[in-house]
Amino acid sequence: MNNAVMTLLIAPYVGAVLAYILGKAKRELAFWVAEVVGFVLFLASAVLFLKYSDTPIDITYTWIHFGNLELPFGIYIDHLSIVMLLVATGLGFLDIHFAHDYMGEDPDQPRYYAKVLFFIGGMILLVITKDLIGAFVGWEFMGLASYLLISFWYFKKSAADAGMQAFLYTRFGDIFILAAIALLFFYAGTVDLVKLNEMANAGELDKTLALVAALFIFMGAIGKSGQFPLYPWLMNAMEGPTTVSALIHGATMVNSGIYIVARLFDFFSYTDALYIVANVAALSAFIGATSALVQKEIKKILAYSTMSHLSIAFVGLGVGSLAAGMLHLVNHAIFKALLFLSAGAVIYIAHHQKDAWKLGGLIKTAPFVALFMAMGSLSLAGVPPFSGYFSKEMVVAAAWEWGNGFTKTFVTIAALLSIAYITRLWILIFLGEPRHEEVGGSVHKPSNIWMRLPLGILAFLTLFISIWQMDIVHYIVGEEFIEPHVAGLGAFMLTCMLIIFLIVVGLYVKGLNLLYKIASHHFVQTIHQILYNGYYVEAMITWISKNIIVGAVAKAARWFDTYVIDYIVNKTLDFTYMVYKVFRAGHSGKIGTYMGQFVLGVAIIVIAILIIVKGL
Amino acid sequence: MVAVDIIFAPIVFSALVYFLTRGAQHLTKYIALGWFVVLFIIALNWYHQLPVDGGFLFLGNFLSVPQFGFELTLQIDALSVAMLLLTAALLILVVLTSWNEKKQAAYFSLLIMFSGPIFGVFMTTNVLWFFMFWELTLVPMLFLVGIWGAEERIYAAIKFFIYTHVFAMFMFVGFYLLYKQTGYWDLTLIKETALATPALIWWLMFLGFAAKLPVFPFHTWLPDAHVQAPSSISVLLAGVLLKMGAYGLIRFTVELMPITTLEFAKYMLIFGLITTFFAGMLAIYEKHIKKMVAYSSISHMGLVVVAISTMTYDGLSAALFEMIGHALVISPLFLIAGWLHHKTHTWYMDEMGGIMKKAPYAAAIFILAGMAALGLPGTMGFVGELTIIVSAVKAYGWWIAIIALAGMISAGYIIWAVRRAIHGPMSPIVEKADFSMSFAERLALAIYAVLIVYFGINPQPIFDLANQAFSFLGGM
Repeated sequence: MNNAVMTLLIAPYVGAVLAYILGKAKRELAFWVAEVVGFVLFLASAVLFLKYSDTPIDITYTWIHFGNLELPFGIYIDHLSIVMLLVATGLGFLDIHFAHDYMGEDPDQPRYYAKVLFFIGGMILLVITKDLIGAFVGWEFMGLASYLLISFWYFKKSAADAGMQAFLYTRFGDIFILAAIALLFFYAGTVDLVKLNEMANAGELDKTLALVAALFIFMGAIGKSGQFPLYPWLMNAMEGPTTVSALIHGATMVNSGIYIVARLFDFFSYTDALYIVANVAALSAFIGATSALVQKEIKKILAYSTMSHLSIAFVGLGVGSLAAGMLHLVNHAIFKALLFLSAGAVIYIAHHQKDAWKLGGLIKTAPFVALFMAMGSLSLAGVPPFSGYFSKEMVVAAAWEWGNGFTKTFVTIAALLSIAYITRLWILIFLGEPRHEEVGGSVHKPSNIWMRLPLGILAFLTLFISIWQMDIVHYIVGEEFIEPHVAGLGAFMLTCMLIIFLIVVGLYVKGLNLLYKIASHHFVQTIHQILYNGYYVEAMITWISKNIIVGAVAKAARWFDTYVIDYIVNKTLDFTYMVYKVFRAGHSGKIGTYMGQFVLGVAIIVIAILIIVKGL
Repeated sequence: MVAVDIIFAPIVFSALVYFLTRGAQHLTKYIALGWFVVLFIIALNWYHQLPVDGGFLFLGNFLSVPQFGFELTLQIDALSVAMLLLTAALLILVVLTSWNEKKQAAYFSLLIMFSGPIFGVFMTTNVLWFFMFWELTLVPMLFLVGIWGAEERIYAAIKFFIYTHVFAMFMFVGFYLLYKQTGYWDLTLIKETALATPALIWWLMFLGFAAKLPVFPFHTWLPDAHVQAPSSISVLLAGVLLKMGAYGLIRFTVELMPITTLEFAKYMLIFGLITTFFAGMLAIYEKHIKKMVAYSSISHMGLVVVAISTMTYDGLSAALFEMIGHALVISPLFLIAGWLHHKTHTWYMDEMGGIMKKAPYAAAIFILAGMAALGLPGTMGFVGELTIIVSAVKAYGWWIAIIALAGMISAGYIIWAVRRAIHGPMSPIVEKADFSMSFAERLALAIYAVLIVYFGINPQPIFDLANQAFSFLGGM
């Protein structure tokens, strides 16, 4: 048991170093190291799952002892951790496997696999640590890894920019967690996640403190999980390799925000923080779903859908149903990994063409990929019997039962719209005639083992995991689970979805001309622009950082430094220099002169000291 | 070897070394390297001899001049040992990074000369001798900046000299007033008189150390000096000379006059906060790569001042850790910044770009050290920042958590610097530059990287030293 924990803690980093070093010697080796380590990590998680007895694994060390304070480091593995571990390592392994072909021609593979293993290591660390400090370490590891992976093709300006943006946006959230650590450490006396929950349940915490700390932690979650207003990095992160997008959006990073709120669920429910979580998330779900409707790039559509679905999971937590939120996280992780990897396969087949409007007709050349992607899409859209249906239904029902009007309305709209954008995407890629000559001609053939197999496994999972939905829920929250129930909601949702589906199919398969006509109306175009640019939140944040932080505050600091402080200093210097010139009497002004005078000066000081001392 | 020889032998023998090896210039660096390794071992030895309860290890009284009433008392505690170990380690690394420097005999002789007074500063408890060593460290430094520096080295050297010199005078007047009040020159004896220190003395000393640290608004010498100095000397400036300021602040304000310091801690805090944020904003605006690193250095020293101002056991421990962490983190940044200028002949990050492709090793170390500078977990920077923020909240209450924002500002300038210089499309300047790096430089950078990560994961050895140094504050 402990061996498994040690493996999970250490293997990713050892693997990362090995993958890099061996990969430098022989490029193929990098992949194989990653593949083996990825599989070992999954095995270790599976061992934990199978051998789990009724008590959580709970180990605590003192990491730093400084002054009168002690900073802890602990391991805590319970059902929630195991579910997250299985998601992270299982999907992570499939992602590494898929990269064999997708990244097969890249000369920088050692670097790629080292970073990927480091990334998975960060997620593992986050989900198995016991206290906020350890969680923060894993949290920031992922920040670094995502930064390095998004800007993996650093020589492309757009990729370098996207990496920088991802790091800065998520870092902005992270510093709030750092502040929360300090606050909790002093005011609550602990940063132990389990103990914080216990204290909240026992009512021992100060309400204001708990609210502030919870909101600070949620701020970090907003950054990592792409909630309003820190979501634009999630879309630009698409500049990285598609396998990286699958890793970020499916297995690891974006789940971390939901995980931390789920882990501190009692602590969050103790205050009104959950109320804010629900509202922010509902707004984000709406923004994501509407923006996804009009994007052109395959990956951007998927990215906005990630944002929307993460928010749906957050809404589940926010309205008080831990089970609904976590279930949606698990289901989303699987179908989103499937969708991203399918998108990767499409991009691979179509010679790196990412614009959905330039694809088309791929069903003839890639029927399997089309099938797998259809399964992922149906799950995302929430069509029974795919897994997405169950969790989304549960979240929406929970929102109707416990949420306020705002949450209820927006999350329902977001949930319904997912069928629209995903159907649109699928139709644009696979149906109709090829709209671009590159796509129509020769295509890369996806191989069975490296591409179709992982897609097949994920497609299988997203369908058959439906059978165990209730088991997952009970595994995470225990037996005393209240299922939200709203009469007629399921039927209402399905009817709406069917209508939306028919409209989309009608417009994109038969009615493209009608669509163009609608789109050319200038009001529609304005809306389109707003949605296409993600409600201009990115533009706003960029404007603030460019014109306020750098252009005003930093510039003012610079002005003050140059024209006030240094001006005075230089005036003093001039004065000294003037005095010096008086004494100089025909010297050359070379460095030697200055030096000589300096030594003389020191001598004078020493003599002066002696005189002063003696004079006493 | 007697303790006093360690201080005076290098001063005397550096001239000898220079004249002996002038004909065979490549030999000097081996002598210097050997000497610094010896220094490191001696310091390590002292570390093991330290009294466990945290007092001074008495090394002897020397050069007694009874008619003047002061003698060179050498005694060290855990704080001194920490600084001695850091100094010796950095000197060793500096030899490695200046392996191919021009005019080697003179350069390395000056480094040997520098090792004398700098050890004196950290070893003596006699304030007069402290002051003299303090001033003497300037001599080799001034030559090193003035001869091996970049284009405007004269201006920088003079500014550096006048600045530190003038403020050292404030400090000296403070020392003199102390002597007038108590009749002792020795720190431990002054402390025993438990005088009620007038505010004037405190402020005089604070000013002296603040300029060295440097604290806003006395910081403007630093960017000039760092930019003009050769990179290895920037390492000494940032790693050792700035630490003299922090060391002095701890020794002469916190330890010597705790009550007065407690009274004025709020001003110290304000200075520290302004320094942190002001220098951070300057770093964000800066396009000059080495100046950016220099402002980052100032910003981190601001955090050290904040930690010192808490006047608690944990705060001081955190401050010492951050001092050592800052030295190890900022050094590779300076080295790579200088190296990039050496190779590309430009200082401006906009004109670089795509370094990663041509010099992946240097780029990787720059990113790693940059991550440490912005406080990423797994590096020393994070441990320093975390312990400082925790101890500051304990001392000042919830509002001080705003210093977490420093982590955002540093992320801003580091990541932007990486974006402009390291990542991005390759610029024509980088395209035609030759990025070869000597083995010694590679080795030194690797050592920095390993230390940053090792002590980032296992910081306890340094904290053991720090806890020992400040155990007298145990109750606070």
